Amino acid sequence: MKRRTLIAGAGFAAGAAAVAGLWRYTGLLRHYAPSPYDDLLEQLNDRDQAALLGRQVVGAPDARMMAQELRTRIGKGGLGAAAMADITADRMTEVDGWILPQSVGQLAVLAAKH
Amino acid sequence: MSAFIDARTIPSGTTQTPDLAIIGGGPAGIALAMALADSKLKILLLESGGMNFDPAVQKMYAGSQTGYEPLDGDRLRYLGGGTNHWGGWCRPMDESDFEVRDWVPSSGWPFGRAALEPYYPRAQSLVEAGAWAYDQGGNALATRHGPILPLGKGGVYTSWFQFSKMRGDVLPTQFGHRYEQDLRAQANLTVWLNANVTGIRLAANGTSVDHLDVATLNGRQFTVKPRYTVLACGGIENARLLLVSNDVVKPGIGNAADLVGRYFADNPIPRDVATLVVFGGRLAPYYRDNQDMGHGAILRATFAPSDTWRRQARVAGSLTTVEQTVVLDDVGKAAVATTAAALGVDASSAQAWSLGCGLELIPDPDRRVTLAPEKDALGLPRLKLANSISDEDFARYRHTLAELGRQLLASKAGMLRINCTTRDEWMKNMDWGHHHLGTTRMHDDPRRGVVNSNAMVHGVANLYVAGSSVFPSYSASNPTLNLIALTLRLADYLKAVMA
Ligand SMILES: Cc1cc2nc3c(=O)[nH]c(=O)nc-3n(C[C@H](O)[C@H](O)[C@H](O)COP(=O)(O)OP(=O)(O)OC[C@H]3O[C@@H](n4cnc5c(N)ncnc54)[C@H](O)[C@@H]3O)c2cc1C
Repeated sequence: MKRRTLIAGAGFAAGAAAVAGLWRYTGLLRHYAPSPYDDLLEQLNDRDQAALLGRQVVGAPDARMMAQELRTRIGKGGLGAAAMADITADRMTEVDGWILPQSVGQLAVLAAKH
Repeated sequence: MSAFIDARTIPSGTTQTPDLAIIGGGPAGIALAMALADSKLKILLLESGGMNFDPAVQKMYAGSQTGYEPLDGDRLRYLGGGTNHWGGWCRPMDESDFEVRDWVPSSGWPFGRAALEPYYPRAQSLVEAGAWAYDQGGNALATRHGPILPLGKGGVYTSWFQFSKMRGDVLPTQFGHRYEQDLRAQANLTVWLNANVTGIRLAANGTSVDHLDVATLNGRQFTVKPRYTVLACGGIENARLLLVSNDVVKPGIGNAADLVGRYFADNPIPRDVATLVVFGGRLAPYYRDNQDMGHGAILRATFAPSDTWRRQARVAGSLTTVEQTVVLDDVGKAAVATTAAALGVDASSAQAWSLGCGLELIPDPDRRVTLAPEKDALGLPRLKLANSISDEDFARYRHTLAELGRQLLASKAGMLRINCTTRDEWMKNMDWGHHHLGTTRMHDDPRRGVVNSNAMVHGVANLYVAGSSVFPSYSASNPTLNLIALTLRLADYLKAVMA
């Protein structure tokens, strides 16, 4: 699995790493300055990838408000459950044309800011 | 045996008195003639062209246009009409295509799909599209050839096109060549080739057709005095013949409400409208290509909004198909990696494809054909077509794409990017279906339609119109299967009224 992940390269590697439970490994490679949203950002498998996505959001969403909302939504269930709840409730957002669950989009924006 | 006569050899001044004159030998005219084979009616089919392409005849289709393809490149003027170059894509219209939809102005047929249901099997057999599968049977046939992409609960579902049969490399069923022998074998039918109807002449009181003027390109002129006439010259030319026949009623036949030529529509086919990512990387072949499923049925999957959701989300019809594989840019890869990880899905083998679409347009009276000052070789005014697509058309389709994107995420099967936002982006890769719709629209109120629900031109008791020009709202489905079903319904009606 590890080997396949390495071969896959590019952007999909992170997704595979997550499934393989290797997200900590990718996380260990990078050091980020502390931010008030670390509790949320640690939900992300790859902050750099998320930040690249988040940078496509035009305008300047209020990070504090967004974080507050996210904390309520992500709660104890984690990002996966929050994303599925968004999808079911049709709480979707569009980033660079990509149709995303709102919580994924918001987290990407936070990653881009920090 | 019927007679196939080259009208260029008939002496000028000849008069014919058939029970029924059919003007135009495309799929509508041919289906109508064949459907009346068992009647006692004496039928004359008048076809402008011969058995094959002739540039001089074709030139009579030339006109001018804005926002559209050249009018003589978009149609074919010889026996078989448009089926001499069609793609063979078939799909019956949906229930909601027929409904009055308050979010689609001027929408609604005077009857529902049930009125066409009895005629679809025969239409399906005429287009040679094999066993009837579509939505009822498509999934069952397809699963033998690979899994259907799961979509979460929502407004879009996997629907199916079927295809008219190809013969090797040859195009799908070309009605002229395919049914020539059947037409020749039909005892009650005479076919005049190279016979152009140049005018529909009404009786002085304007309430019935008295005769038709017919001319050939080598200078012969004839008169046909039928009891009944069916105009089947195609979705653009039907309007032209009504407009040029303006000697008795000034704005043209059936044009008292200024509707002839208005409400023109096609199914626009914008390409690369979206990017579909399948996390697992595999997509069954019937998404990307026409797939022979046995029983003569060739199918291709398409994503369609359901009737229920169309009503609820107030969107128009659309049929989204998978086109080619694409490579994601860095942002795309980031979107996939981030989203798949959030959902706990392995996207290490993800693949991406571009999507294209056939759209249903919102009816618009300003999208229209009018007569131009220029004349063709037989002295008929040429046509000018003003075509357009509204931003609303794109906005509604965008909504459907977003719903498809949501459902892909719901099933954790994949995700979607909408590639078009600005008008320029939508128009950049725009193709047209070459489906000519709406110019002689059907409505039982003469103020709102050119023909009534039996396809009779309002106020002209013995004149009928066949073909997609009568579609009052359009559907995203390709028209030919549907217009043939509608023509077969007209045949039944004519059998009854003309008996
Ligand atoms: C490139 C292309 C691809 C297409 N692909 C598809 C597809 O995949 N699926 C689909 O459903 N549809 C498709 N279509 C549309 C399809 O061809 C038409 O829906 C169909 O041919 C319309 O049938 P019709 O009989 O009403 O008119 P036509 O096929 O246009 O036939 C009209 C006939 O009338 C004759 N005529 C015209 N004027 C006169 C006159 N004054 N006097 C006597 N005769 C006259 C013409 O010569 C012609 O034979 C396609 C069209 C094109 C151009």
